[in-house]
Amino acid sequence: MAETGRLTKVATPAPAIAPVTLLRVAIILALLAIWEFLSHSGWLYRDVVPSLLAIGRAVVELLTHGEYYFNLGVTAAEVGFALLIGGGGGVIVGIVLGANRFLAKAYEPYLYYLGPTPKIIFFPIMIMYFGVGPESKVALGTLSCFFPVALSVTAGMRSIDSILIRVGKSFRANSWQMVTKIYLPAMRHPIINGVRLGLGVALIGVLLAETKLSNKGIGFLIIQAYSIFDMPRMYAMLIVLFVLSIGANALVGRLGGLHTIRRI
Amino acid sequence: MSDTPNNAILKADHINVRFETAEGPVIAVDDVSFDVRPGEFLSVIGPSGCGKSTLFNVIGGLLGSYQGTVNVAGETINGPHQSIGMVFQEESTFPWRTVTDNVAFPLELTGMGKAQRIEKAKHFIGMVGLKGFENRYPGELSGGMRQRVSLARTLASEPKILLMDEPFAALDEQTRLLLGDKVLQIQQELKQTTLLITHNITEAVQMSDRILVMTYRPGKVKRIVDIDLPRPRTSEIVGSEAFGRYVAQIWADLREEASRGMREQEKHVMDEAPQG
Repeated sequence: MAETGRLTKVATPAPAIAPVTLLRVAIILALLAIWEFLSHSGWLYRDVVPSLLAIGRAVVELLTHGEYYFNLGVTAAEVGFALLIGGGGGVIVGIVLGANRFLAKAYEPYLYYLGPTPKIIFFPIMIMYFGVGPESKVALGTLSCFFPVALSVTAGMRSIDSILIRVGKSFRANSWQMVTKIYLPAMRHPIINGVRLGLGVALIGVLLAETKLSNKGIGFLIIQAYSIFDMPRMYAMLIVLFVLSIGANALVGRLGGLHTIRRI
Repeated sequence: MSDTPNNAILKADHINVRFETAEGPVIAVDDVSFDVRPGEFLSVIGPSGCGKSTLFNVIGGLLGSYQGTVNVAGETINGPHQSIGMVFQEESTFPWRTVTDNVAFPLELTGMGKAQRIEKAKHFIGMVGLKGFENRYPGELSGGMRQRVSLARTLASEPKILLMDEPFAALDEQTRLLLGDKVLQIQQELKQTTLLITHNITEAVQMSDRILVMTYRPGKVKRIVDIDLPRPRTSEIVGSEAFGRYVAQIWADLREEASRGMREQEKHVMDEAPQG
């Protein structure tokens, strides 16, 4: 019976392009058409909406010059360090708060109060402490991604099946072994989720800081293009950044084994 | 096996445990003393709420506050002792580890080399009858198989005393009897000193050399029964006449306690009812 089912399915010829894909492409084409129409209409200030051709040329120019890659590297490194320091700190604080009810009672409210606060308000302080260079961007990114990771790991610690902890204790695992062999693997899913959230907000924090005050990085390049009114270049950078962040998100999802989360 | 209590490998001495609850203190374990001799299979049986599991945690070193002492091979325990290997009632395998890595866990903690611990783990996996499942994850196994993984994991740590808390409570009756066979076989093969906490009379009589019957709250020692059935035993012994007599004798003791427990719980519910 299963066989017949399969046969009928094969018998209907699959369309060359699925309707969903068709719809997806259609809206992009429509938006591009509107864009192009606007750029030639003369309704807006000149160059606020540059033609697609100009943007395309700017993308090519951007990607063929080393300057862009250097600044991309700066931003990536800033985000990387922010994730390392803030995320690492978040994991440690999360484990400590998750393991110790007394400390959690004392300090967890702070996490909840400070967590949703927009970290950009601390940027002036960061500039005073760390200067205009990448250090202040790392600091802001660190501050941004610490909270979601810490909250996620604290909650993850509480969700660990207590029997697994008792097993570890009964085999006389020391604290380090408890953390590395029980807590961390048992919390792999909340940690991955926390890091994904953390990466997102670290990226926002770093870019935001770069557009405010900086001398290097993608945010700096974007705001520089804006200030000299080089709109094609600015749009080109936005497009490249957009594509990069989609790629980064997909990569983290893949590394984090998002598919295994779904399966379990 | 020696009959002299001085020879005991485990000695529980005047164990008292009190819990503070919202309705005042509850005495969970009341002045319990007993000893386990080398190679012996001792079961502790009692109705629900007699403090058996509390006793399990005391001997396993997982309960911090109690009075009395537990001696293992002459040492007073203070936290989990390396001579005691615990098998828990709950599902306790690590879902992110394969069967082999689960069983090798205690060996990993001691810093044993990888090749050596895998070899050793394989030995115990074979012993519990899970050969061929070494690379499976617990999620791919049945409940009975997972309990055998837990048993193999504890055996791999080569404890002097195997301490089990209703390890088969969550399993169906047939699986329970067959696993009981497995435990008996392993226990006889390794001459493993075993302390089993259970509420199952059949299980206790089938496996034990002696059975300690506990009273309903507060949990005291009501009686210690010697089970004089031939060894090696299998689950077939369940059909014998002598077996039936032991079961009847222990049930007579337990029945009293269990029905007292039931009455007290009912009374408790009745007392609560008017307010609710």
